[in-house]
Amino acid sequence: MRRVILLLMVLLMALATASLSHGDYPVPWRELVDVLMGRPGASPQAQMAVLDLRLPRLLLALLVGAALATAGAIVQAVMRNPLAEPGILGINAGAGLAAMVLLVALSGLSPAWLPLAGFAGAAAMAGLIYALAWRGGTSSLRIILIGIGLGSVAGAGATLLTAFGEIRDVQRAMIWLAGSVHHADWQTVETLAVWIALPLALTLAIAGELDVIRFGDAPARSLGQRVQLARALLIVLCTLLSGAAVAVAGLIGFIGLIAPHMARRLVGPTHWRLLPVAAFTGAALLAAADLLGRTIIAPAQIPAGVVTAMIGAPFFAYLLWGRRHAAA
Amino acid sequence: MSRRTPLSADAAKALTLVALAGAVMLAAIWAVTLGSARTSMGDVVGALIAFDGSREHLVIMTLRLPRVLAGLLVGAALAVAGAIMQAATHNPLASPGLMGINAGAAFAVVMVTTLGGATSGMAMVGSAFGGATAAAGIVLLFASAGPAGATPLRLVLAGAVLTAFITSLTTAVLIFDQSTLDQVRLWSAGSLSGRTQAQVAGVAPFILAALGIAILLRAHITTLSIGSDMARAVGQDPRVWRGVVAMLVIGLAGGAVALAGPIGFVGLVVPHLARFGVGVDYRWIIPFSALAGALLVVLADAAGRTLLASQSFPVGVTMALIGGPFFVWLARTRTGGAS
Repeated sequence: MRRVILLLMVLLMALATASLSHGDYPVPWRELVDVLMGRPGASPQAQMAVLDLRLPRLLLALLVGAALATAGAIVQAVMRNPLAEPGILGINAGAGLAAMVLLVALSGLSPAWLPLAGFAGAAAMAGLIYALAWRGGTSSLRIILIGIGLGSVAGAGATLLTAFGEIRDVQRAMIWLAGSVHHADWQTVETLAVWIALPLALTLAIAGELDVIRFGDAPARSLGQRVQLARALLIVLCTLLSGAAVAVAGLIGFIGLIAPHMARRLVGPTHWRLLPVAAFTGAALLAAADLLGRTIIAPAQIPAGVVTAMIGAPFFAYLLWGRRHAAA
Repeated sequence: MSRRTPLSADAAKALTLVALAGAVMLAAIWAVTLGSARTSMGDVVGALIAFDGSREHLVIMTLRLPRVLAGLLVGAALAVAGAIMQAATHNPLASPGLMGINAGAAFAVVMVTTLGGATSGMAMVGSAFGGATAAAGIVLLFASAGPAGATPLRLVLAGAVLTAFITSLTTAVLIFDQSTLDQVRLWSAGSLSGRTQAQVAGVAPFILAALGIAILLRAHITTLSIGSDMARAVGQDPRVWRGVVAMLVIGLAGGAVALAGPIGFVGLVVPHLARFGVGVDYRWIIPFSALAGALLVVLADAAGRTLLASQSFPVGVTMALIGGPFFVWLARTRTGGAS
């Protein structure tokens, strides 16, 4: 466990250094240290590139990645399904529909509303699914099934706008839907950090509940868990985390699905270990994806959400089929 | 639900199937009569039995019948493919799209369009089928690597991984190529508009063969759904059967996506409808799914054409808009209380 965390920290540091120094205006690492330490030696261009552009972008990628990965770990335990990801709670469908409506149907409105609309859509959808799944209590299967039903309705709405909307608006919306952190600024970073700090801490504090609920409702109840309460609380946490992530960065898929699996391969299924490792993995994944996306065919930028899958998929395949963990 | 003896329960299920088959026939004939030039059900039957070359009969045979036939084939294929996937993976979330089939088809169509410019309908069908088959083949290959073979979890994860990978490539192309986005966006919503006799005839053999085999093998698929330990205990080699199942799903879902583009809702939901209707036995679920899927797609397409008076309204959208709320209602009323 400690070795894994240490390894991930080293990886993150390397990624951070690379992210801060690479780009249209390369900053050598000596100058980078000057900028970060606030020493006077650095050029104003380097200061601007690092402090105003790259650092907030890096931090945003790390925060979003960690939030999505944690949300994914929660939802996989609560739904007892290895295919589950935050999208199953309607987060992506709700946010996606809200974004399509804002960008395509109401294209006159300012895109500044996008984060708010995204979060509202996600939260409304998750709330609606939970409410419809309530019949004197919820069940994981019913939440999944109702999520599928409502998700496909919202998806149909979004598809309709895609198929018949103004093509330029549709393309803009697709870029947002693909998920990206290119518009990061300090205010967004601070808001997101404050927003997800409490849910992250709370999730870790009740990691034991995740270990129990994973066994199924009846065993969990006989182990003394108040299943309905635990499930509701965990779903709220998951919605807060992934809804906020989606609101600031668009639909970055895959991290919520893959990071928990990777963490499970690395440190096993116990959640107080799994959650931090998953968060670090998710953060590293998204930071790496963003770095690649903005450098690989610069000056054009590939949205981070697109790259996540491109690099995450092979890496996951390696973990899944790698020799060392073949037994797991 | 009231308790019945096994025999009468089977009879009731058989009766449901017969009624459903009748409904499919009627719905199909009715759907052919719809369109800008009104035709009666008698005209449709006349054109089928005694084709006289009149303008009405020509419209029916060349324009409307292919569309309805495509709907029937696509609906049945997707529903059965979904049922088989859910049986083989023991996962209620499994759908034909999971093997990378839709993602592969979309990628192939987008690449052909972006590299070759405007494409004909036939090229689209061919590239979609090719892409779907290739993607599913890769998924199967990845999942089968290693001593345990293609366990359901590996299959599902390999499918999810490949789907995410290919979809991200497709998105990357579409973000930078606006004219391709414009050309493929109706296709990617799932649409039956403008299907020709040649396209239907080209894909039908694959779908029909796979449907026939699926119905013949329905007892084996039931065994598979119980779990690999049980299946081995009754003498079934899960590795062989998972391969067979994968081939079936490729034929069915690959054919469907080639004909109509990626239609998401049918494969996931119709097997659940079937389970609500006839229980957990796949010997019943498979024929029920085939009929219910065909009915659903034909009705959804007809509804889109009449209610919204648009020939190009994507059937995938109509279906989700009608089927989604209905499915939510079913899930609410048919799954037990707080368990």
